[in-house]
Formats: sequence, C-alpha cells, structure tokens
Amino acid sequence: MRKRFVQAPGGAGERPAVSLLRRAEGVDLFFVGYGLLIVALVAASYLAGALRILPTDPDAMDFELLLAPPATAGHLLGTDFMGRDILTRLILGIQAYFLPGLLAVAVALVPGAALGVLSGYRGGRSETVVTWFMNLVDSFPRLVLILLVVAAVRPDIYTIMVVVGLTNVPAAASLVRGKVRFLKEKNFIEAAEAIGLPLRTVVLKHILWHHCRASLIIRATLGMAEAILIETSLSYLGFGVQEPAPSWGNMVQSGANYFLQGNFWPSTAPALAILFTILGFHLLGDGLNNLLERKASR
Amino acid sequence: MTARWIRPVARVLLREVAVTALLLLGVSVVVFAILGLAPGDPFGVLLEGQASADAGAAGVRESLGVPTAWHAQYLAWLGGMLKGNFGASIRTGLPVLGEIVRTGKNTLVLTLGSLLVTLLVAVPIALYAAIRGTNRISVPLTMAAYVVSALPVFWLGYLVLYVVMHAFGIFPLGAGFSGGSSGPAAVYVLLPVVVLGVGNGTLSEVVRHLREEMERVLAEDYVRTARAKGAPAWRHAFKEGFLLPVTEIVASKIPFILGGAVIVEQVFNWPGMGRMAWQAAQDRDFPVIMGIAVAAAVFVRTGSLIQRFVYVAVNPGASREGPARRAA
Repeated sequence: MRKRFVQAPGGAGERPAVSLLRRAEGVDLFFVGYGLLIVALVAASYLAGALRILPTDPDAMDFELLLAPPATAGHLLGTDFMGRDILTRLILGIQAYFLPGLLAVAVALVPGAALGVLSGYRGGRSETVVTWFMNLVDSFPRLVLILLVVAAVRPDIYTIMVVVGLTNVPAAASLVRGKVRFLKEKNFIEAAEAIGLPLRTVVLKHILWHHCRASLIIRATLGMAEAILIETSLSYLGFGVQEPAPSWGNMVQSGANYFLQGNFWPSTAPALAILFTILGFHLLGDGLNNLLERKASR
Repeated sequence: MTARWIRPVARVLLREVAVTALLLLGVSVVVFAILGLAPGDPFGVLLEGQASADAGAAGVRESLGVPTAWHAQYLAWLGGMLKGNFGASIRTGLPVLGEIVRTGKNTLVLTLGSLLVTLLVAVPIALYAAIRGTNRISVPLTMAAYVVSALPVFWLGYLVLYVVMHAFGIFPLGAGFSGGSSGPAAVYVLLPVVVLGVGNGTLSEVVRHLREEMERVLAEDYVRTARAKGAPAWRHAFKEGFLLPVTEIVASKIPFILGGAVIVEQVFNWPGMGRMAWQAAQDRDFPVIMGIAVAAAVFVRTGSLIQRFVYVAVNPGASREGPARRAA
C-alpha cells in the first residue's frame, strides 16, 4: 500500500496499453489468457444450454451404453451410469451456477463497495460500525451458515447465493476501504472537492471507477470461483440441484459409487470441469492482479 | 525485554477478549434470527396431524415451559447456553453440548492436523518462490499448489480412498479419532487430514499470501541494510515476512477449513461436527445446528484472538490501534 499510484491531477489511472504489455511477465499473460478462454467457454456453454443447443437430449438414457468411456461414437465424453451423455450434462450443469454465481458476485460487490467507501471516506463512527459488521460476518464459517439457512428455510440456489454474496461483503469492503483511505490523502481528490464537484462524482467516478475498477473485477473473478465451489459442494452434500437435473456437484456425487469400483470417468469428468473452471477464474484474478496492480506500481 | 511488551499485550488482549465476547453475542443474535425465519416452528412439526394443533401447541408449550414471545425465547436460549445448556437434539434427544464436545474433538483433530499439513506443504513452496523469484522450479510448484487447490475436495477424497483401498486393501471409513481399532489407526486419521490439508483451496491462498508478503519484506530497506552488513537476512525478515503472514492467513482461513471439514467428514464418514451439522440440516434439528454454528464461531474468533495476540506481541506499537482491524 505504499506508493502505488503515481498521480497526475488530470489523467487519473490511464496508462498506455503498450507499456502495460511490455512490463507484463509471460506467466501472467498466460494466466490471463487461459482465464479469459475459460470465461468465454463457460459463457458460450451457458448460452448453448439456455437456448437448448445441445449435442443430445440430457435425459435420454442409453441402456446399451452404460458408463461408456470418452470418445465413444455419439458420446464424445462418454456416458454416465444411466447411459446419459456426459458432455451434454456438463454443458447443462453450468445453468446450476452461472446466474446464481453472478448474483452472488453482485451481492458481494455492490454493498461491499458502498460500505468500503462509507467507512474509508467518512471514517469515525461509520468506520467502527462497518468494522463490527465485517467481523461479525467473518465469524461464521460460510458452509455452516448456509447449512443453518438450509435447516431454517430449505432455500433455492438463488437464496443460497445471496447468503454467499453477503459473506463476501467484508472482503470487498476492506479492499475498497484500503484504496479509499489511500486516495483520500491525494491532491487530485482534494482538488476535486475544492472545485466543488459533487460528492457523488468524486466517489463514483474518481474513486470507484478510476481506481477500484481493476480490484473489483479481480474480486469478481474470485467470487465466481467461490460460487462454483459452493454450488458444487452443496449439490454434493445433497442440498443443491437434485437429480435428474444435472449439476457438476451432483454428477461427481452420483458417479462416486462407480468411482470406488474402478469406473473413474463419470465422476472424474465433472471434477475436471470444476478444476479447469475454478483454476481459470483464479488464474484470471491472479494474472490481472499482477498485471494491473503490482507491476503497474513499480 | 519482557516488561516492554507485556503491558500493552495484556491491555490489548483484555480489549480483544471483550470484543470477542460482544461479537459472539452478535453471532447468537444472527443465528437466532435466521432460524426465526423458518416457517412454522418445531412445535408445529411435533404436533403435526394432531387435532386442534393450536390448542395442543399452547398446552405443550406451557408444559415444557417454552416462552411464546421471541425475545423471551432468545433470552432463554442465551441464558441456557451461558449455563452450558444448549438444549437437546430433536432427533436423538441427547444434550447438544455433550454431542458438540464429542464430535468437536474429532473435528479439532481434523482441522488442526490439516492446517499443519497445509503449512508443511505451503511454506517451503512460498519461501522458495519468494527468495528465488519465478524460475523453472517455482512456477511448476506454485502451479501444482493451484491445481490441487482447485480440485473439488470430495473428488480428491474419493481418489485417495480408491488408491488406499487398492494399494493397501483397507477401507478407511468411519473411524474417527478414537475409533478404528481394526487396521493401522494412523491411516484412518491421516487420510482425511491430508486430503483436507492439501485440497479445499486453502493451500494456494496460503502459498500466494506468504510469497507476496515475504517478497515485499525482502525488498524492504531494513532487510537490505542487514544484508549489506552481512547479517542474516532471514532473522530480520522472520517476524514481518513470516510470522505475521502465517498467523494472519491461518486465522482468516479457519472458517474455510471448517467448511471443508463438513465435506471431508462426509466423504470419510468422519464422526465430527461437520457431519453432525449436515445431519442436523437434513433433519431441521434446530438446537443442534444452532449449537454448532455458535461453536464454530467460537472457534473462528479464538483463531483471530490468537492472531491479534501474535500481532501485538510482535509489534507492541500496534496496541494503540483501533478494535480488531481486519488483515486485508
């Protein structure tokens, strides 16, 4: 948090793309490229699933071809224990977390940014209140909190993702608060206030848009990875998406019996999907962080 | 030497304990409020299908001495908890506190053991990457940590189970901490501990945090001065570059590890608090899930208390800071 931004009072935060790329390390570029590829794949598969452009019918069972290995004719990724096409079910499984995940990210970032600005800009009593709130939320293990909500109201996935988002509010808030505290001392904010710009402009444009944009996007990629993890874990535990509707978590779970008998694939295919996707979001966040935040500061 | 930091440490510790107590009070309010959202109430379930449920409910409430108003219910629950009475499980009828202590021991072994595993794996990787920078060894090592962390922990559990079953011919399920008299007991305990330690997403975050902090500290002027003088840089970087980040990340990861324990206990049939929480959510066993949520929060807050204590002990000047500031 030292001299992170070299500020000129006019062009805040704008840097030419060429110098950014030159300074970037190859590893980070690779991470970001891989992450963007995964994001594109997930988004495309989500659209394909939503529009029902699927290789086969996800519920069609082929009892001649139970537990077929990958690259079987007609089933690129093989079939599961009921002879259903795994590729189709993987694509459709994205429905289980895509929109709920976006909801979780929005629920985390919007109040998080608001609380961060409030406590960082105002300080004093509002900061104390926000800190207490953050510590309170952080006192709950997320999965235990979700199990509590599950016990109380038997929620659908959207309700669960609102809870997930709320548990991520503290992280977003402390991120924004740190930035705001640092920026508040800067001349250009003081100048903006001195020329009588409305508080709204200073906060929304100068602070959030110009200086927190990158960190918030990074936070969003991590939040999406967490949402996938939560959805798959809950479906695995039997509280998420229920068979026959596919979700990556319940696919791993339903394939598990066959896994221990030596039929790895039906359980491993969704596990690999989870792996590559979560890895993609993590690496995207990490690579962007290194490119936009750390390297830019040197 | 000692007198210099004992006073501020004691003062801060007192304040932190008070903060923790208040936070736990808040936790109890939140837990109670969430279950207050539940449609109907346990008495409705108890009396389901009986004629004139309303009259019956009032009668049962009276005979069991359960207050009707919500604030009276909360105070009764809170008062009971403070006296060590967490109520009884709706399903089994056993006292919740006893059950939590019984299963909590197993979960404590699982989580603390897995923390140890995480640190044993993560620290060498992070330190190597911090000292040597990105090179042909540190990048694959870091990547491996990321990959293992991104794997769903339940699948990793099945993989380990399968390998152990086929390689050693044992079926390491349902043993727990004290059980497992048949077969080598160490395996029963070690497997879930290792799976939770390397899986569950904690490993990569610990590696990343430690590496970043160590890199930052190694670039500080005082470390460079120490190097220039020929003093060991390690001794000068230890407190700020190692001790603080480790306690920081461990304290902030305890909630995640407890969440992972719910899943790993499910995979390995480990008789811990996580499995009990799962069962309680399944059965809507309110006293049990409430007790577990409070116990888990106590665990989390204890972790941050220790973290604050280390922080202040290392850096007595921090004792003048505001209440329990989060580590970003």
